[in-house]
Amino acid sequence: MIGIETEYGIYVEGKGAQDLVAEATHLVKLYPPPVAVGWDYRQEHPRRDMRGFTVDHLSIDPQDAQFEQSGRPHSTDVEVRSDRVLPSGARLYNDHGHPEFSTAECTSIKELIAQDRAGERVMQVCAERRMAKMGGGLVALYKNNTDYHGASYGTHESYLTNRGVPFEELLHSVLPFLVTRQIFAGAGKVGIEQQAAVAGGGAEARGGVYQLSQRSDFFTTIASVDTLYNRPIVNTRDEPHTDPRKFRRFHVICGDANLCEVATFLKVGTTLLTLRLIETGWKPEGIALRDPVTAIKRISHDPNRMATGPGKWLVERLSGGVIGAVDLQRHYLLAAQQRLRGLSSETDEVLDEWEHVLNLLESDPGHLSDTLDWVAKQSLLEEFREAEGLTWDDPMLQSIDLEYHNVDPATGLYYGLEQEGRVRRIVSDESVAAAVSEPPAGSPRAIVRGIAVQKFAERMHAVTWSRFGLTDGAGQSTSVRLSRTDTLSPTLLRERLSAVTTPAEFVRTLDELERDVTDEDVEDVDEEENGGSTAA
Amino acid sequence: MEPIRFDDRLTRPMPTADPLRKQSDGDGPSKPDVKRPESRNILERMKRVDPNQAKRYRQRSGE
Repeated sequence: MIGIETEYGIYVEGKGAQDLVAEATHLVKLYPPPVAVGWDYRQEHPRRDMRGFTVDHLSIDPQDAQFEQSGRPHSTDVEVRSDRVLPSGARLYNDHGHPEFSTAECTSIKELIAQDRAGERVMQVCAERRMAKMGGGLVALYKNNTDYHGASYGTHESYLTNRGVPFEELLHSVLPFLVTRQIFAGAGKVGIEQQAAVAGGGAEARGGVYQLSQRSDFFTTIASVDTLYNRPIVNTRDEPHTDPRKFRRFHVICGDANLCEVATFLKVGTTLLTLRLIETGWKPEGIALRDPVTAIKRISHDPNRMATGPGKWLVERLSGGVIGAVDLQRHYLLAAQQRLRGLSSETDEVLDEWEHVLNLLESDPGHLSDTLDWVAKQSLLEEFREAEGLTWDDPMLQSIDLEYHNVDPATGLYYGLEQEGRVRRIVSDESVAAAVSEPPAGSPRAIVRGIAVQKFAERMHAVTWSRFGLTDGAGQSTSVRLSRTDTLSPTLLRERLSAVTTPAEFVRTLDELERDVTDEDVEDVDEEENGGSTAA
Repeated sequence: MEPIRFDDRLTRPMPTADPLRKQSDGDGPSKPDVKRPESRNILERMKRVDPNQAKRYRQRSGE
């Protein structure tokens, strides 16, 4: 099971950063029905760490804290977040001043890409409704991760993994992969953040340079439960959203938001294969990094990104010497080819694309301008710079960078490339349009949640990733436990649930389908309450 | 940094034939099949970008 959560950047003409919590709240409330409301925050545990402890509090960015206004009327956390559960099974809400779209749980990468891109459409619907309500002024939403002034916001991936692999083993095996995957998964950025800004100083990013990743400047430690400040490369939050005896949710927070579909395909596909490799007992040898936090920045900043040959993106190994990021990725690729090829057609497509892109990154990176965001954006910037006679330190280039991520198809620069046929596609426009209102076809729990929203949104309450409440006409509430549906046939679920006409019939139908699933098979996860702050 | 150790190289670049750029048998990555509307020139679109948009763009710190 896999998913992507994206916090979008939000620009509302005439409004400042101090207004963005209210603006993001307004925005998500404008998404049209059917939507279910009533997310149950008591069941989230963002302070629980996979290493076996719970922290007292999560770190807060001191610069960002200045935007909190004590004079504002107090709203409850639930009101401010304004969760909406959509007919696709996705979640839309305000996360700390960012409209966030969390895809429904998916079981294939292509379905995930369609759902992720449907999030762009959902956001644009909200932006247009907000503009209409304002009666003038621009509202723009950006699928990116930086404001060039020291603030970063996340695009997170979730991978359900086998709990049997000890966390420390998982961490050390996956870390070199995560540090280096930006060579194909980076979204590109004009400017480098000053470390004072990352530490809460709020200074402008240094312009005149281009780097691979939007997020790399913001990581200060290897592993931690924090996400807002002192950000780690590997997040240790322990929220599996399913049976915790069997699974952990590996929550990757070091990725960029991608618009190029092949970049998302690779980002998710290679990470998934790497995790599967580790589950088979494989361990990387001789590629542990001496300083992963420095390495993730050094790779991103390397000015030799367009050079050919192996002498770029070099990182220091713990065992001595250096290795290039392309070769380090090949270490994982080779093992995946040997152990995982043939598992599924999608696995083989990931392996082929991974090999193909690594080879081109080494031999002719410019050829990837139709494939990877950082190359596509650099190509656009060069085109514009030459046409306008600008130098790399012209501040206009940062605005071009920003507008690459604008999700308005009429103005966004990535969308311009797509409309001109200059980027490769994985999913069709029709699939993306369908994913706005339909759950991913292979995901039982997304189908159950999504069909419930389509039919009985107003009867749903206490929604979490693993269950929701459904009230029938007599006021009787039943808890629908989604972990009990994970092994059911998605086709049968869709067929049977699409035909029901009442909440009682919905519950009865699920009971019939689940009759062979016992409580022994599925341990419920939503047991404890926590005090408040929330997780994506 | 120490000099590059080329023995770290695990595979060599693939030959120029690229199966992924061929007409695919399945539904995997493929060349786009999108018509190019003449009215949507990307350079013109870039010229319409507000030069001060990034300067004005301030966000809350997120996760």
